[in-house]
Amino acid sequence: MSEAIIHTLPASEGRPRVTYRHAGDRFLLLEYGDMVLDLTTNFRVFGLNEALTRAAIDGVIETVPALRSMLIHYDGRRVTPRRLVDTLVVLERGLPAVGDLVIPSRRVTLPIAFVDRWTRADIERYVKFVRKDAPNVIDGHNAEYIARYNGLRDVEEMIDTVCRTGWWNACIGFWPGLPFMFPLDPRYAIVVPKYNPTRPWTPEGGVGIGGPCVAVYPVPSPGGYQLFGRTVPVYDLEQRNPAFSDNPILLRPGDRITWTRVTEDELEMRRAALAAGEAAYDIADDSFDVREYLRFLDDVRAEAEALRRRQEAAQRTVPVP
Amino acid sequence: MALEVLEGGVQTTVQEVPGRVGYLDLGIYPAGPMDHFAFRAANLVAGNPAGTAALEVTAGGFRARFREPRVVAVAGADMSPTLNGEPIPAWEGVAVKAGDVLALRVPEHGGFRAYVAVRGGIDVPQYLGSRATFTVGGFGGFGGRALKKGDLVALGPAGRDATRHRFDPERRPAYGESWEIAAVRGPQADPDYLTADDMAFFFSHHWKIDRNSNRMGVRLESHEWRWARTSGGVAGGHPSNILDNGYPVWGVNVCGNQPIILTADGPTLGGFICAATLVEASTWMVGQLVPGRDTVRFREVSVEEAVRLAEALDRELTAAVQRVEGTR
Repeated sequence: MSEAIIHTLPASEGRPRVTYRHAGDRFLLLEYGDMVLDLTTNFRVFGLNEALTRAAIDGVIETVPALRSMLIHYDGRRVTPRRLVDTLVVLERGLPAVGDLVIPSRRVTLPIAFVDRWTRADIERYVKFVRKDAPNVIDGHNAEYIARYNGLRDVEEMIDTVCRTGWWNACIGFWPGLPFMFPLDPRYAIVVPKYNPTRPWTPEGGVGIGGPCVAVYPVPSPGGYQLFGRTVPVYDLEQRNPAFSDNPILLRPGDRITWTRVTEDELEMRRAALAAGEAAYDIADDSFDVREYLRFLDDVRAEAEALRRRQEAAQRTVPVP
Repeated sequence: MALEVLEGGVQTTVQEVPGRVGYLDLGIYPAGPMDHFAFRAANLVAGNPAGTAALEVTAGGFRARFREPRVVAVAGADMSPTLNGEPIPAWEGVAVKAGDVLALRVPEHGGFRAYVAVRGGIDVPQYLGSRATFTVGGFGGFGGRALKKGDLVALGPAGRDATRHRFDPERRPAYGESWEIAAVRGPQADPDYLTADDMAFFFSHHWKIDRNSNRMGVRLESHEWRWARTSGGVAGGHPSNILDNGYPVWGVNVCGNQPIILTADGPTLGGFICAATLVEASTWMVGQLVPGRDTVRFREVSVEEAVRLAEALDRELTAAVQRVEGTR
């Protein structure tokens, strides 16, 4: 009767194909290119998001940037999807090539206690009550498994790997305030399969990785990511710290996160000070120059290949959960 | 100026229309009532603006005592409302005195949620601009949770007007066991995710409502889809997998083989396709689906038709409100 796809804008120099899809009478989904995981596509999503915000189109209520797509919430009584798509196509054509984008992007530094006692407690409960022979639990934690699956020498090298790259927060969602973060430096791009079955418990602030994506659990909840540490709160309903003055959510899509290693005791003190409003989160406004980043990617390509070879070799012998 | 909860029931929450709009990119679904039609009807006959904060009672079992005189209205599923044990009409404003006890029973004749609107509204603080309870995040409404015995729920100022209204009996929706719910195809349907046959099945089958359904999602029965592709590629092994994207509110997610209607408190983002999306004029029906009993068939509409349906439903709602003479 009608079609899901409203319009397709073919790829051209410096621009991936754009597919515009119906998502009911109040939403429209825009997708870039093919189903490939490529941060440059996500940068373009942010470029378009900026342009859309500036254009202040009548009838557009909000946008939801994601990896290679953007969901647009509109008022169907004020704008038709056809007219909205026409406007989006004009914006798309006016958008600079992805290499020319400079995106607003905050720098956020978060303390992390690796292989901490809180994540360990929930992992041990998992082994006790859910799966005794889980291959992703070694010495009562997931850290050693993450190291082995990526062909890294030990947990120390895994920790070093996580700390050496910045993490790009591509989008927020599923759960309120849950970030989807990807490594900006391919030399440290670890991957790991998820739990099977999922873990019923995760501590608030638990940090884990599933596939290439790192997440922080905003509240105690079930989860499927392999845990490697715990950080400070990223969600505070009581909005006690000024970082939560607008809403209870710390991180924003487009943030760059860097991890700093601390001890369990230091983390506990830090958490208490932040909750009491006596310490500030380490957040700085900044922008992200895509051209500079693409140049950096070229420079490190050969080194990144070395990690990939180690991973391939390791994955031939390390079991999947 | 309060309502004293004597029994919370299965799940009774404070809701508001339109809910918490504008926070999808931070992971917050809008919340609000599962049935926006009965919710608005209850408010209108209670003498409130349609979106005023009111109670959503899921599957009955709710009892509360009024601590002051008010006009109250119950609409939605037939929960045989009583005042001090005496039956009172639903879909109609009823005057209550201080000390009166309102009770709602488990619905026996279809429908799953009823709305209790009190003139002046429920007075809870706004959180991120709304009084709607978001059960997943644990905020909004009454302390971010469902009501329980002993809660004292504050009421807003009622004003002096004691006019009562009722909802035209001819225009009250019937809650049967089989439903027809309007939906728009997509975002991820045929030809690239599912086959045309899959979509023809989707729009013709009478889907059973799974018992495991709530304000986050209403599960339908599993189905062996044909799929237009063999795997989800980089996003995962199953063809229902995609790289995480924003989920439209009231989208019909297909998670592996199982379709799930993403409802008021659903996830904002995820890695499964949405084959279709319910339209504004039809989502209210989802709030009345009886888990484990009812079936739903999705009727395909265009966006243009959906917008006309929504406008017609709004007119219908306003036209159905009649003034009741005399006091009760």
